Amino acid sequence: MSAVLEVTDIRKSFGGILAVDGVSFDVREGEILGLIGPNGCGKSTLFNCILGQLTPTGGEVKLDGKLVTGLRPAELNKLGVSRTFQLLQVFPKLSVRENLILAGQEHQGNMASRLVGRSDAGLTDAANQMIGFFKLDHLAEEPAGGLSYGQQKLLDAAMAFMGGPRLVLLDEPAGGVNPTMLSDLKERLVAINRERNATFVVIEHNMEFVMSLCSRVMVMAEGKVLAMGRPDEVRKNPAVIEAYLGH
Amino acid sequence: MSGFAKPLKIALGLIVIAGLIAIPMNFNRYGLFILSQWAVMTIAAMGLNLTLGYAGQVSLAQGAFVGIGAYASAIMTTHGWPLPAAIVVAIVLAFAVGWVLGYPALRVQHHYLAFVTLAFSTLAFLVFRNESWLTGGIYGISNIPRPHFLGIATTKPLPFYYVCLGSLAIVSLAVWWLIRSPWGRAFMALRENPLRAQSLGIDTRRYTLMAFAIGSALGGVAGALYAPLTQYIDPVPFNLSLSLDLLMMVIVGGAGFYFGPFLGAMIAVLLPEWLRFTEGYYLMLYAIAVMGLLVWSPTGILGILDRYVAERRTKAASALRAVAKSRLETAQ
Amino acid sequence: MSNLFDLLVAGLATGAIYALVAVGFTLLWQTSQTINFAQGEFVMLPAFLMLAAMHVGAPFWLAIILGILLSMILLGLGFKMLLVDPMMRHGVLPLAIATMALAIGIKEAVKQFFSAEASPFPSIVPTGDITVLGHVVSLQSIGVLVVAILAVFGLTTLLNRTSLGHQMQAAAQNPTVARIIGVPVERMILLTFLINAFLVALASLLITPIYLAKFSSGEVLGQAAFIAAIVGGFNQVRGAIAGGLLIGVLDNLAAAYISTQYRAAVPMIFLIAVILFRPQGLLGRAEERTV
Repeated sequence: MSAVLEVTDIRKSFGGILAVDGVSFDVREGEILGLIGPNGCGKSTLFNCILGQLTPTGGEVKLDGKLVTGLRPAELNKLGVSRTFQLLQVFPKLSVRENLILAGQEHQGNMASRLVGRSDAGLTDAANQMIGFFKLDHLAEEPAGGLSYGQQKLLDAAMAFMGGPRLVLLDEPAGGVNPTMLSDLKERLVAINRERNATFVVIEHNMEFVMSLCSRVMVMAEGKVLAMGRPDEVRKNPAVIEAYLGH
Repeated sequence: MSGFAKPLKIALGLIVIAGLIAIPMNFNRYGLFILSQWAVMTIAAMGLNLTLGYAGQVSLAQGAFVGIGAYASAIMTTHGWPLPAAIVVAIVLAFAVGWVLGYPALRVQHHYLAFVTLAFSTLAFLVFRNESWLTGGIYGISNIPRPHFLGIATTKPLPFYYVCLGSLAIVSLAVWWLIRSPWGRAFMALRENPLRAQSLGIDTRRYTLMAFAIGSALGGVAGALYAPLTQYIDPVPFNLSLSLDLLMMVIVGGAGFYFGPFLGAMIAVLLPEWLRFTEGYYLMLYAIAVMGLLVWSPTGILGILDRYVAERRTKAASALRAVAKSRLETAQ
Repeated sequence: MSNLFDLLVAGLATGAIYALVAVGFTLLWQTSQTINFAQGEFVMLPAFLMLAAMHVGAPFWLAIILGILLSMILLGLGFKMLLVDPMMRHGVLPLAIATMALAIGIKEAVKQFFSAEASPFPSIVPTGDITVLGHVVSLQSIGVLVVAILAVFGLTTLLNRTSLGHQMQAAAQNPTVARIIGVPVERMILLTFLINAFLVALASLLITPIYLAKFSSGEVLGQAAFIAAIVGGFNQVRGAIAGGLLIGVLDNLAAAYISTQYRAAVPMIFLIAVILFRPQGLLGRAEERTV
C-alpha cells in the first residue's frame, strides 16, 4: 500500500523552544493512525505543521508523493486534506445542512461557476447523504448552534468529509463526548473509513477510543517519536508507560 | 423561518414596493429629490454592507468610490455618452481600484485595510480637487444631463426617481443573488470563523478581496447615478464624511443584514428631513435619535429583530425543556 | 530666517495643543477601544461652558474651574456612562458611529443655544512679544507651550511613575489579567475618560483665544488630532505627542510657504505616506502579519 502522507524530519521551534524535534512517519492509504502522548509532547504543533497552520522550521511533508510543506490550509484542503477541531468550530447560525454545503462547496467547480451556478453548489443531495450517514436526519434544518455538544462533534466530523478528502486529521474527536455518543462516533468513523478508503490520523487522549479505533499508534514525547506500532504492542512498551506515568 | 411568516413577508414586500412606486407621484420636486437620494445612498450602503457586514472588513473609502463613479458618469454623459455606458465604466473602474487597493492591504494585519482606505479617501479627494483638467477642480462639472430611455426623457424629477428606484431594484436583485450563492456563504464563513473557513478550502484572502472590490463597485454605481441626480458635482461631497456617513448607515441599519442598508439610508437621508419641522433643533434631535438607537441596539435596527427572534427561540426551547423535565419527574 | 523661527515656535505651540488632544484620544482607544469622533467637539465645548459661566457673572478664574469641572462631568463621566458603557461589548464600530452622532449633537447644540457667530475668548497667557535668541516670538506661543508641556509632563509622570499610572497601563494592556491581580479595571477606565476630559478642557482654554470660540471649530481640531494620533502610532502616548507636534509644525509651515489651495493637503499627504510606508505610525510598534 502506498503512503498517502509522508512526514520527514519535521522540526518546529518557537523562539528557543523546540516543540517538535525531528518527527518522521508515514501514513498508508486507508489506515487509521493514532497519535498519542502526554500534554505538551508536540502532537498539536505537529498537526498544525502538517496542516499549514504553522510553517515548520525544518523538514518536509509530502501528500501522495507531492511536496506540500508550508502550503496554506485552504490550499491543502483543495489537495484533499481536511481536519476536525478540538474546540468545536461549526457555524452556529447556519443549519446543519448549510454547514455541510459550506464544507463541500469549495470543491465544486471554480470561483466563477460558484458565483453564477446553483445556490447550493449542487450539494444538497451529498449533504443529505452525509446527514443520513451520521444519523443527524431530524436535525437537518436546525441551526448548528442549537445542537448538543456530541451532535456538534458529529457535524464537525461530517463537515470534514464533505470535500471527499484523501486524508483527514482529527483533533481529539472524542473530547467531551458522552459514552453513548462516543460509540456512535467510533462506529461512523470506522464505517466511513471502510466505505471511502479514507486515511485518518487521530490525536486523542482517550486511550480506549484510540486503541480500538486505530490500526497503528504513534507515541510522542518531548517533541520526538517515542514508539510506533500496533496498539497492543505500544501499550506494553516500557518507554511509553514511563512517558505517561513517569511525569 | 416558520411557515406562516413567509407569505406575510412577501405581502409586506409587495406593499412596500407598490408604495415606493405610487406614493411619490404626489411628492413635490424636493421630496422626489430626497427619495432619489435615499435610493442612491442605499446602493452605496449595500456595497459597504458587503465589505463590512458580510466580509467583516472596514472600508473608509466608500465615499471616494461614489466620487469615482460620479466623476466618471459626469465626464462621460457631458460628452454625450449614454448613462448605462457610464455606469458600466463606473463599475469597472471602481472594481479595479478596489482590487488594486485591497490586494496588498489584505495581506497584512487586520485593520490595515481601514488605514489604506482612509489614505485613499484623502488622496481621492485631493485628486478630485486638483486635477481640474479632468474634474473641473473646485468648480466641478455642471449641466450633467439625465438619460433618455426608449425615447422617454427623464429630466423631470418623477421619471428620474423611477430610474433611481429601478436601478436600486436591479442592484438589490444582484446582491440577493450574490448572498444566496456559495460566494455569500463563503463571505459569511470568513467573517464568522476565518480559521475554520480556511480549513474547509475557502481562500479567505481571495473572497475578502472580492467582497471589497464588489462593494466598491456598487459605490461606483451609486456615484454614477448621483451625478445626473444632482446635475452638478464638485469634490466637496466625496470626502471622508461621506464614507463615515455610509458607515453609519450600515451600522445603524444592521451590519450583515440584507435590508440593513435600506433602513440605514432611510435614517441618514430621510430622518433629518422628517425632523425639519423642529427648525433649528432638527440636527440635534437627529443626533440624539441615532445615539439612542445605537445604545439600545448596537447591532442596528435589524439587530433588534434578530435578538427578538433569538429570545423567542430560547424561550420556546426553555419551555419545552421545562415540560420534558416535569414529565420526567411525574413519571418517576 | 527669523520668520522661520517664529513659525516653528508657533507651530510647536499649536502642535502642543494638538498633542494634548491626540493624547486623550489615544488614551481612550488604548483603555476602552473607543474611537472618539467627537474629540474635536470635546475641545470646542469647554470654552463655551466657560463663556456661559462668565455670562452669568462668574469671574474668569472661577469660570475656568467650573468649565473644567463641567467638562469632566459631562465629557468624562457622562460620556462614559451614557454612551460607552452600554456599547463597549459590541465592538469598535457602533461606539465610533455613536461618537460621530455625538459630534453633530454637540455642534448643533452649541450653535442653537449659544450662537452661530464666533465669540472672542480671553487668554490665560499674556499677549505681546518677547525676544528670544534674537528672534521675536509671541508670548502666546511660549505660554501655550509651557502649559502644554507641563500638562504632558504631569500626565507621563502619572502614567510611568505612580502606582495609579501603572494600574492604568495594566488595565489598558491586559484587562483580564489586570482584574485577576486586583486592579480595579473599570475605575481605571473611568479615570482615563476623566483625564481626557481634563486634557480637552485645557486644550480648549489654550486654543480658543487664538481661533475664537465657534461651534464649527471642532471639525478641524478633531481631524488634526485624529491624524496626529495615527501618525504618531495609535498605540503610544509618546507617539501622540510627537504626532501632534509634527502636524502642528507642518501645518504652520505649509500655511506660510504653500498656497492655500494645497495647504490642507500637506497633513493629508503626510498621513497617506505614514499609512502606506509605516502603518504602525512613527513611534508605534509593528503588529504581526497575517498568514
